[in-house]
Amino acid sequence: MSKSRRFLIGGVIILGALAYMIYGGMQEALVYFKMPSELRAEEKSLQGKFVRMGGMVVKGSLEKDLQNLIYRFEITDGSTKFPVYFKGVPPDLFVEGKGAVVEGRVGGDGVFQATMIMAKHAEDYSPHADGKTPTNSFIPAKEATAK
Amino acid sequence: MTATLGHSSILMAFALALVGIASPLIAARFEPERFRAVARYSIFGQFTLVTVAAAALIYGLVATDFSIKYVAFNTTRATPIYYRVTGLWGALEGSLLLWEWILIIFAGIVAWVYRERHHELMPWVVMIFSIVSAFFLGVIGFLSNPFETISPIPLDGRGLNPLLEDANMMTHPPLLYTGFVGLTVPFAFAMAALIVGKIDEAWITTTRRWTITAWFFLTAGNLVGAWWSYHVLGWGGYWAWDPVENAAFMPWLPATAFLHSVQVQERRRMLKVWNLSLIIVAFSLTIFGTFLTRSGIISSIHAFSSGPVGAFFLGFLAFILLGSFGLLAYRADLLKEQPELDSMISRESAFLLNNIVLVSALFTIFLGTIFPLISEAVAGVQVSVGAPYFNSVTVPLFLCLVFLMAVGPMIAWRRASWDNLKRNFLWPASAALLFGFGLFLWKVRDFLPLLGFTLLAFVVCTMTYDTALALRARKRIAGEGILRGLITLSRRNQRRYGGFIVHLGVVLIIMGIAGSMTYSKEKEATLAVKQDLTVGNYRIQFEGLKGAQQPTHFRVEGAFRVFHNGNDEGVINPALKFFPSQQSPIGRAVHQSSLSEDIYLILSGFSEVERNQATLKVLVRPLVIWMWIGGFVIVFGTLICIWPMPKAEQQEQS
Repeated sequence: MSKSRRFLIGGVIILGALAYMIYGGMQEALVYFKMPSELRAEEKSLQGKFVRMGGMVVKGSLEKDLQNLIYRFEITDGSTKFPVYFKGVPPDLFVEGKGAVVEGRVGGDGVFQATMIMAKHAEDYSPHADGKTPTNSFIPAKEATAK
Repeated sequence: MTATLGHSSILMAFALALVGIASPLIAARFEPERFRAVARYSIFGQFTLVTVAAAALIYGLVATDFSIKYVAFNTTRATPIYYRVTGLWGALEGSLLLWEWILIIFAGIVAWVYRERHHELMPWVVMIFSIVSAFFLGVIGFLSNPFETISPIPLDGRGLNPLLEDANMMTHPPLLYTGFVGLTVPFAFAMAALIVGKIDEAWITTTRRWTITAWFFLTAGNLVGAWWSYHVLGWGGYWAWDPVENAAFMPWLPATAFLHSVQVQERRRMLKVWNLSLIIVAFSLTIFGTFLTRSGIISSIHAFSSGPVGAFFLGFLAFILLGSFGLLAYRADLLKEQPELDSMISRESAFLLNNIVLVSALFTIFLGTIFPLISEAVAGVQVSVGAPYFNSVTVPLFLCLVFLMAVGPMIAWRRASWDNLKRNFLWPASAALLFGFGLFLWKVRDFLPLLGFTLLAFVVCTMTYDTALALRARKRIAGEGILRGLITLSRRNQRRYGGFIVHLGVVLIIMGIAGSMTYSKEKEATLAVKQDLTVGNYRIQFEGLKGAQQPTHFRVEGAFRVFHNGNDEGVINPALKFFPSQQSPIGRAVHQSSLSEDIYLILSGFSEVERNQATLKVLVRPLVIWMWIGGFVIVFGTLICIWPMPKAEQQEQS
């Protein structure tokens, strides 16, 4: 086998391995951003997948259990109300009637199991915004999402 | 007055930079001798003017001259003097000025040091510096002017982002910028070599120390950033794969690759095009990073202001890439070389693999960073790429790197014989396997950490074994003891032994990352006074809250007593700080470190109704402290590499 052919084969193997790793990594870590109505429509195909959902926290829907750090509320985009369950500490700016983005999975019962809540800042909000907004006292469960 | 002085200095420096660009071109065409010095003097002129401008801004900040908008936005009367000075890099306009200042300091030193040497290269080196400098001066002078005035003059300033009021923030940006700017030196020499058409190894040997220095500052800048994130941001981690972190880390990868592959060129005259490409990529990435963070196209936790500056950086980036790769293509006939690789089992190929792995890591991180942009532009789908992507892709690559770190420095050049392999690796490999087996028996049962720690041990064993053999030879030849022998060895062969120490530092850092990635524990709970929370071997008892008014903010502090295996380890006090200018409190996490693990406490909230209830998050993160120790080891190793030695003491590299 000639030298150049050996290099070619080596290169193909390396590129293949790299492409496989990138593809696998993306499958695992790509997080789609959906509105509640979109998510409800695609609920079946997205079940068990990590997604972000953004909208308003419905007024009067928030139930807190401070002792166990459990929060239940609904998020709406105006047409669909999506129930959310969250265990942890939400950011300070998380209040009823304001915007929020939740990250997690839709459970079999149609409830969004959030592992992270990102409150919407009035001025510097964008849907991609990482939850690690340092101006919050809230610290996202990075380690939980990493597993 | 201060503002006028500063701004006019910048404009004059800009004009001089244009002279610095034009003069080598004129010199090449008409009268070489007279114009040769002009380029150099233009650098010294720019250096003086930019220093005046930087001094003016620092003076404005220290004297709280609120007629300057930048000062009003980044200091207050209550700001302590050292944070007033560091306000220089507290926001976009000032940090661009700092960047330009460091750049022109580097350019000035280069122009001075080589004033009698490299007559052919230097005018072009200086021209490249002037091009980069002109770009920054143009942006500072016309787009993002730190000397913009404000009227009416406010009574007090708005102040620095409170998160930046930290000792690490005083060092992190200058370190990182020095690293970025340092890469301009090898880049400028590489371009000069291409322009002149003398593509031998001269540009590499000349810039060797500069490159190591730049690499060192890049490493230090990233580590201090990680430390700040861990220490100040209070989320218990040190690296989130945030776009801005990636932007700072990406140039490190080709720079590291470059440091290794130039050794192959020096030794074997191979990889010429590759080395030129690496340095172009590394330099371009420093500009790309600024574009990424300043254009606002990718949202990030590092809330920078966005504006027209981003577009100009993109344009400049395109100019650099086209210009430098164009030159490379133009000189392609001169670059047809070159000795071929003799064998896959050789030091050349170990270094080549190291480069492939580093560039692959760069590519995957780059892709992950810009993927949200591509997705939105191409498919209109909003996505984000989470940390799991970066972890799952980079971990295998970095494990390969660790393996190569054990093999590369020891394996023979050209073609390693079976004897050579056996001599260098038999004992170290056996020792490392034994170590891995011991870990398995002890309690490390997962595949990746087990593999990782075994490979790390392999690196340490090969280096120790190699050094021990060399020491034995010193003892035989000169009767030197261990310490004396070590000193002689590292003096005779600075790069090799300095490199070993840097590798040791990298091993320690990877050990810290591996430990904290795989064996962290965390728990969160709301506690009433005297209630406790158990995490691993720790029991945390809540003792109460107290609040106090500080000069700049109101601080609420929780007292938590830590018991480790039942022993009372004292009270630690995580806090929340309420700044009047901020909507929400800023957490002050606290950790207690030991060599084996950190216990990290975050006060995430407290009940305002009942003041004696607190929500606490506890993290136990093993081995984190080794990352910072590794950083210091790298400092030491780098110093050994670059310490100037009298010529007589140096010997040819083994």
